[in-house]
Amino acid sequence: MSLWPLRYIGTLGAYSWRWQRRRMSSWLATAVVLGVVLSVAAAVQLVVWLGERSLAGQLQSASEMQVFVTDAATADQQAALQAKLTNVSGVSRVTFRSKAQAAARAARDPQLAPLAGASEGNPFPASFVLEMRDPGVAQRVLHTVSGDPSVDPKIPASYTAAQAHQLSSALGAMRVIAVVLDVVALGVGAVVALALLRGEVRARKEELRILTLVGVPRPIIRVPLVVQVLSVAVAGSGLAVLSLLYIGQHVVPAIDQSLPFLRLGDPRDAFGTLAVGTVAASCAALVPCALLVRLPR
Amino acid sequence: MIVASGAPGDPPNGGSAWQYERADDEVGRGKIELSDVSVGYGDETVLEDLSLQVERGDFLCVEGPSGAGKTTLLRLLYGSLLPRAGVAVVDGVDLGSLRPRHVSRFRRRLGCVFQSDELLPHLTARQNVLLPLQLAQMAIDEPDERADQALEMVGLADKAGTVPPELSGGQQQRVAIARAIAHEPSILLADEPTGNLDAVSTADVMHAFQAFHQEGGTVIMATHDESLRDTYARRVIRIAPRRGRAA
Repeated sequence: MSLWPLRYIGTLGAYSWRWQRRRMSSWLATAVVLGVVLSVAAAVQLVVWLGERSLAGQLQSASEMQVFVTDAATADQQAALQAKLTNVSGVSRVTFRSKAQAAARAARDPQLAPLAGASEGNPFPASFVLEMRDPGVAQRVLHTVSGDPSVDPKIPASYTAAQAHQLSSALGAMRVIAVVLDVVALGVGAVVALALLRGEVRARKEELRILTLVGVPRPIIRVPLVVQVLSVAVAGSGLAVLSLLYIGQHVVPAIDQSLPFLRLGDPRDAFGTLAVGTVAASCAALVPCALLVRLPR
Repeated sequence: MIVASGAPGDPPNGGSAWQYERADDEVGRGKIELSDVSVGYGDETVLEDLSLQVERGDFLCVEGPSGAGKTTLLRLLYGSLLPRAGVAVVDGVDLGSLRPRHVSRFRRRLGCVFQSDELLPHLTARQNVLLPLQLAQMAIDEPDERADQALEMVGLADKAGTVPPELSGGQQQRVAIARAIAHEPSILLADEPTGNLDAVSTADVMHAFQAFHQEGGTVIMATHDESLRDTYARRVIRIAPRRGRAA
């Protein structure tokens, strides 16, 4: 079996390493700049991710919408209402919560418990509890139950469509902000990497010319450039991941302590996803720079 | 009719039929045929209606005043410039139909030496010969031995481990020649290879060219030096400014 492919890969790898080693200072500077840019982006991404999770938690409870049933509603009317609710698009489950069950839940709720104790009888209405795929479904639900004789006309549901829309919009806006920040950070990173590569090509113009003249294929001439941006991307991402760890361990708990209403929570389960995402995204953004940079003819 | 590659009658450079590995007796090996070729840069035509025929094993000197187009002719021959008109066939390859992705493969059939030695200063003489050989000739057998043989051929076997800044100008140029011939090209192109050298170094460099020529290689050398032309060249062509035609 011919060993030339292995030998060739070895030669190319050694050449790529030598290419990089000779200009380690510019490589290091680029990696640090990229690391700083990615650190800022990753930190914002972490805070947005945690905020989004916190908001999603609130939305999850908000998504458990209740349609309140009047005490006068008959069993047939309740069954008809349940059938109507089940047929609303976006409603995944409908369950009935009786007055007794509602009172029992209220007794466990620290905010509602005093009200339950102070009232005579059971002030908590029976309801249909709806699980919705999206808070935006609330508007359809409210439209469906409007005028239904078994639904409390004063307070038909646990929250309004406007509230649901606000929550949904806030969630969407946070996602957009995170995506825009990522794109900007990767764009800046790509520009920095491109500057490095152009500097490398300028510094090694004669070397590249020699390789071109002796017939080294252009894709092969590009290999050291690809290796270089890959290593910069990995090093820069590594710095960003370290920053992320520091922010998660020290900054996020400090924010939670000083601003408890934010409830950012434990960031540990976000680290893996954000670290892999940062490395993958920076590699994906930087490698095309190595393929696009112009080589001497 | 000029046949570019393969058997007579084959289409010039016909797609996948364009092979890197070729038999030594292949049609056009070591030959150059230019017929009414025009070439230039941008809007400027430097060489016009140039016709030239070089047989395998020839040693050709190209002379002419500065700006006449000697370097342009060499750039045409190694595929850096494409002919605007006419037919140019180098080592069996029709340059007019040479696709960009085939240029590097074409250049592996040639050797090029320039006035400035263009060696990598951080590599030893042996590494300077070896690296392009290893990167360009992927499946080449025993590249180390070939690099050593090339250095021996130019008389620098004992300087293999020396870096270029520690070599004289003539020695550096001979390393460049060793690099150009290590892959055993059939044609060696040289642009003022002794322009910066003293008489002793020039003689050493020319002996290296002669060694290649004696092995059956074709040498095309642009030079101002009349003594070189008279001593080494088997043929001389002169390019007149603006409108070139080989004499």
